[in-house]
Amino acid sequence: MKTVHLRGFNRARRIVVSAVIISALMAGTSGFATGQDQPYSGTQLTYWGGLIFSEDANQLLSDTIAQWGEANGVQTEVVMINQNETVQRVSAAVESGTMPDALDLSLDLLMIMSRQNVFAPLDELYNRVGEAQGGWYGSIDLATDTTEVAGGRTGLPFGASGNLLLRRTDLLEAAGFDSAPATWEELVAQAEAVNAPPVSGLGLALSNVGDGNVQASVLQSFGGRIANDAGENVTIKSEETRTYLTWLKDAWDRGVFPPGNATWDGAGDNQVYLSGQTAFIANTGSVGIAARNDDPELYEFTAYSALPAGPTGTISPITPQVRAVSATSDNQQAAMALLEHLSQPEFLQEYYKLAIYGPVLQGQAGFEAFNGEDPIHAGLLDLVQKGTAPGYPDVYNSAYADFMANFIVPKMAQRVVIDGWDFDRAMDEAQAAGQAIYDKY
Amino acid sequence: MTDTPVVRRRQWLTDSRRTHLFAYALVVPVLLLIIGLIAYPFGFAIWVSFTDRVIGSVGNFVGLANFEYLSRNATFGAAISNTIFLVVVTDILKLGIGLGLALLVNQQLPGRGLFRSFLMLPWAMPAFVAFLTWRVLYQPVGGGLNLVLTQTGIYPHVIDWLGQRPTAMPSVILASVWRGFPFWFISILAALQSIPKELYEAARVDGANAWQRFWMVTAPGIRQVVLVTALLSSIWTANAFEHVWLLTQGGPSDATMVFPVLAYFGMQTQRIGEAAAVSVSMMPVLLVLLFAVTAVMQRDDER
Repeated sequence: MKTVHLRGFNRARRIVVSAVIISALMAGTSGFATGQDQPYSGTQLTYWGGLIFSEDANQLLSDTIAQWGEANGVQTEVVMINQNETVQRVSAAVESGTMPDALDLSLDLLMIMSRQNVFAPLDELYNRVGEAQGGWYGSIDLATDTTEVAGGRTGLPFGASGNLLLRRTDLLEAAGFDSAPATWEELVAQAEAVNAPPVSGLGLALSNVGDGNVQASVLQSFGGRIANDAGENVTIKSEETRTYLTWLKDAWDRGVFPPGNATWDGAGDNQVYLSGQTAFIANTGSVGIAARNDDPELYEFTAYSALPAGPTGTISPITPQVRAVSATSDNQQAAMALLEHLSQPEFLQEYYKLAIYGPVLQGQAGFEAFNGEDPIHAGLLDLVQKGTAPGYPDVYNSAYADFMANFIVPKMAQRVVIDGWDFDRAMDEAQAAGQAIYDKY
Repeated sequence: MTDTPVVRRRQWLTDSRRTHLFAYALVVPVLLLIIGLIAYPFGFAIWVSFTDRVIGSVGNFVGLANFEYLSRNATFGAAISNTIFLVVVTDILKLGIGLGLALLVNQQLPGRGLFRSFLMLPWAMPAFVAFLTWRVLYQPVGGGLNLVLTQTGIYPHVIDWLGQRPTAMPSVILASVWRGFPFWFISILAALQSIPKELYEAARVDGANAWQRFWMVTAPGIRQVVLVTALLSSIWTANAFEHVWLLTQGGPSDATMVFPVLAYFGMQTQRIGEAAAVSVSMMPVLLVLLFAVTAVMQRDDER
């Protein structure tokens, strides 16, 4: 009871402290705003925020936007939408001409939709924010460059996520493993050592969801490539891919994967880990947050590390989250001013403490959230500094994003482990399906 | 000369024409609704399926390119066979269960009304609640079905109901039948109650046994209802998304891939031309079914 009370107090304290800080900031900026003209006064802004795992972070974003609106005489409407529904919501909004003025979205969606001139160019804002805070991390800068498809930058990064390897130290240490697995072979060996149903060793998804695309990183770390250096021709059928499939089939035959992992939805690995049914998962860290809140014992016994390496090293792609302004918005300048406000250290200092994102700007590395006390944020900082750019070593372009959205790699994996296809047949199908996608771009 | 236009007008607007115009005026609102809500979206979807339209662009006419692309896709082939298999098997099972229960409940039994209401519960339950519940029941670890099997000793091993090819489609079918049989049950029950009791009494007097009474009296009496129910159920099942999506998302591999889920994947990548082509591909099958049922019903009416 005491712990619960203390946790409630901490949460309340965080919100109050955040609100006080932001109010103070608003007071400062509102003084400025009233002292100067309010150039956007009287306008209305609709903002679609992406819901994340932290309710406090969601609330902080909503409150900050509302307070900015009040300070600048702008009537704001914040709609928080489930990130699993962003594609459908944005697609419908584009087709029906009801896009919000500004929104949060994934890099994949930004990359695909920027080709249709759905978003306004943000180059000036991007450069200004970057220069003010020590510059963008190289991987973030490279990954979010939409110049080739849209003639300019259309996304303003605000957070980075990616997969960390979560492991159960209580199970693994009892089996004699004190450190994180360095290679995929070591991972399977450790997983097999603790594999005792109903606990399965290796909780990696092989289903047609985003988590299943971790398999693409595994494939790439084995030296496999999705496409050639020009990013035009699919090269998935290769000896390196065969090596990856050999590793996968071997792990499958050893029975280390949890049952049902070929049909998991987006929360499948989270649920299996949180219910104590697996020793390893690859996850953004949201599971750690859930464990911290709901299962302190599991949180205590969870360690975080980078994804294991294959023969060509570790492929640990960073996934930037971005904000964008609709090209059809009548209030683009006001929307950009809001995005700039949301990029200020004063807001992000507090936001990062609550959200499960790594930094995107060099100056943010010194934020309190990344001081090393919290292992999840420390892992995310490490990921941003040492991880690979999205798609690496492949070219991250619209075709690559489309390829991943079609889950070609997990489907190939399913052909091998579920349907029992031989490697050549599975690779041939993936090659043909992938090339058909690349041919469209 | 000055009266001529009046005469002409009177000649044109006869009583008959006035009646017809009035009738057309009454029909126009409905016609506009049908055009706006059915014909236009329907025609637009067909048009889009012949374009390379993606979200945010008008797209260009590409002829049969989308259909050609789909025909080269192994998953598309799986979606065709899975959809047909799912529709046929679930309809047969729903017919068997619905008919059996309707015949049972049509008897003079105590608590009949309560039993009827109870049987309607799966139909009344929101689909997503029903199928998420089934997903929990199918869970390999902690799922209800496995618990029953292992705790009772019927089968000692955990079965991955949704995660392996041999059991995935039967699991989807079982959940779909559970959710859908009440519609068959209530439709057939209504038809049974419209059959005059005198026909059964006359058949008894003629010495007909139970099977003969069913075949000669009951079956013709419910035939049209069963046909209409089969048509509606087939269309709903073929177009249903939630049962497969919530249970397996079309997997494992493409073991349970059906048209609506495949179309959804197309939408996820913003290629609505291809997504529309998936939906349009299903139309010929449904049209054949529609015309066949309509033809049988018309033939019945003419007898």
